[in-house]
Order: sequence, then C-alpha cells, then structure tokens
Amino acid sequence: MKIYNSYLLFVAGLLLLTTVILAACNVDSLDVYYTLYVVEALIVTELYVYFSSRARRSLTVVGTLLFAGFLVIVASAVLKIVV
Amino acid sequence: MQETGDRIRTDRNVYTWTGLGLLVSGVILVLVSLLVLSSLVWLTALGIAALILAFIFLALARTIPRVTPEVSMLLLETGIDNIATVVEELGIKSKPVYLPSSLAGGKAQALIPLHTNPSLPRITSALPRRFIVRYGSGPDDVGLLITTAGTVAVSILESPMGPTVTQLESTLASLFVGKLGAADRIGISNIETGIRVEVRNPRIQSTGAWSHQCLDSSLASIIATVVAEAWERPVVVTKEEQYGKTYVVEIEAVA
Repeated sequence: MKIYNSYLLFVAGLLLLTTVILAACNVDSLDVYYTLYVVEALIVTELYVYFSSRARRSLTVVGTLLFAGFLVIVASAVLKIVV
Repeated sequence: MQETGDRIRTDRNVYTWTGLGLLVSGVILVLVSLLVLSSLVWLTALGIAALILAFIFLALARTIPRVTPEVSMLLLETGIDNIATVVEELGIKSKPVYLPSSLAGGKAQALIPLHTNPSLPRITSALPRRFIVRYGSGPDDVGLLITTAGTVAVSILESPMGPTVTQLESTLASLFVGKLGAADRIGISNIETGIRVEVRNPRIQSTGAWSHQCLDSSLASIIATVVAEAWERPVVVTKEEQYGKTYVVEIEAVA
C-alpha cells in the first residue's frame, strides 16, 4: 500500500500548503480555496497512473463529487450576476 | 490464519478510521469557523480540505486487497517448493525457458527441459497444456511445463503489453509499483544479448534457497514471463544479481 500512502501524503501536503499560501495572501473567498483544492486533487490523481482500476474507479467517484461542488459554486456565482 | 485475518482487518481499518476521523474533524472545523469564528475563512477552508481528504481515504479503504502480501508469499513459496522438489527428484539441471501464452496453450508458462542440452530449446509451435510435454522431434526433447508467479502476474495486467523498452518499462512499473507494491522503480535498458531490468528497492526477497537457484527467483520469474508475453517469444534469465538496493535481471530471447 506504499503507493496509497505516498498519494495521500502528497495530496494532504499540497492542500495544507495551498491553505497556508492563500491565508498568507489574505484571500478571503472560500470559492477560491475550494476551486484550487479540487483542481489540485484531480491533477494529482491523474499523475498517479499506476493505481489499480478499482482504486481509480473509487477516486473517480470522489472526483465527480468534488467537481459537482465546483459546479455549485459556479452556478451560485452566475446566479449572483444574473439576479 | 486468525492472526492474518486480524492483520487484514487492521490494514483496512487504518484507512477507514483515518477517513472517519478526518470527516468528523472537518465537519467540526467548518461548523465552528462558520458559526462561531465567522472572520476566519482559512479555518473553514482547512475544514473543507480535511473533508476532501476524508472522502479520498474512505474511497481508497474500499480498494485495499483482501489478501496480505504475507499470505501471497506463503502460497507462492509453497507452490515453488513443491515444483522444486519435483525438479530436484528428477535431477534436472536446466534453467527454465519462459514461454508466451501463444506457445504454452493459452497462458504464459515456464518450460524446464528434462535433459541439459548445450543449446536452448527451439519452440516453434504451441505446446499442449500438460505437465510433461514434448517440445521437439528429438528423443530428449521432453520437459516440464510449469505455472510460475509470472503466469498469474501477467493475468492481472489490465493494459496490453508492448514489445519496446519504453512500453515494457511502463508495464513492469505498473505491475511492480502500482499493483503489487513490490518495488519503488523499474528501469530497463538494451544490452547486447537482450535487456537489462533494474528493480529499485525490491520487496520480494530472494531467499537463496535451492528452489530459487533451480527455478530463478520469483522476481526474475515474473519479469521474464512478462517480457516473454510482450515479445511473444521464449526468453531465458541469463543473469540476476543484487547491487545494493537494486536487483538486476538480464533477459535474452531464445533464437
């Protein structure tokens, strides 16, 4: 399970680093944080090409859920502009 | 076996419990930061990050293999030792020739010639799926057709194998690094007689037992079977050696 641990550590480190950098830059929009988290998680998952098909299917479900959250953010932003 | 079962459950639980822990702490962080500390956006974001990680942990927990490496090794060693006993009793000194599935009746297997010949056996047509097979027209062209660890390893590969060095490197990395978790890195280079495969930090250790000297190590056997299948030609292991943390296997195609 070494590949799982390496993947999880990488994602966790990246999310933490993003939080620290954005907090240091005084970014106060939760949308920006979430969008960056989703993009990073999806990119790292794609970079780990040696996952088994079973692990990849499970991670695709997580990616779809995260992307759905991103679409909600986009939809709410569009609604704000329209209304 | 009870201890093994406990170990399996523990491995799965580590991911599940970590995921659940992150889920609870993420929800608490988000709620506290939103309801109590409304000015701390980064704290809410940290809670969201914990939730994302929790989902990933829980997703991966479902995909952990039910059989531990220890159980796999137990079964592997038992199988190899049984075959090695047969080979020892028959007084066979030949090294195995790894055949692709097209030459071994549907699945990649290893042929051990019963008689030691100076030249390697030439196999041009598919052999029958039997334990003792005749592979040539000569009276001594008889051998044992055995299933190796590589036979099973080839069957779990999902993508088609290519014959080039780059494609082979990708296939072996996918197998050893991704699926088996048995090495950190794989490197392949062309040499005069065939290819040289370097396995960095292998976790399948060669015990140096007699069975390994006779049938090649499990690591070399898996690599040779994959190469035979990719090249669609019989291959032999010409050299295997440990250099520090790197295990080197040299493979040559049978003419």
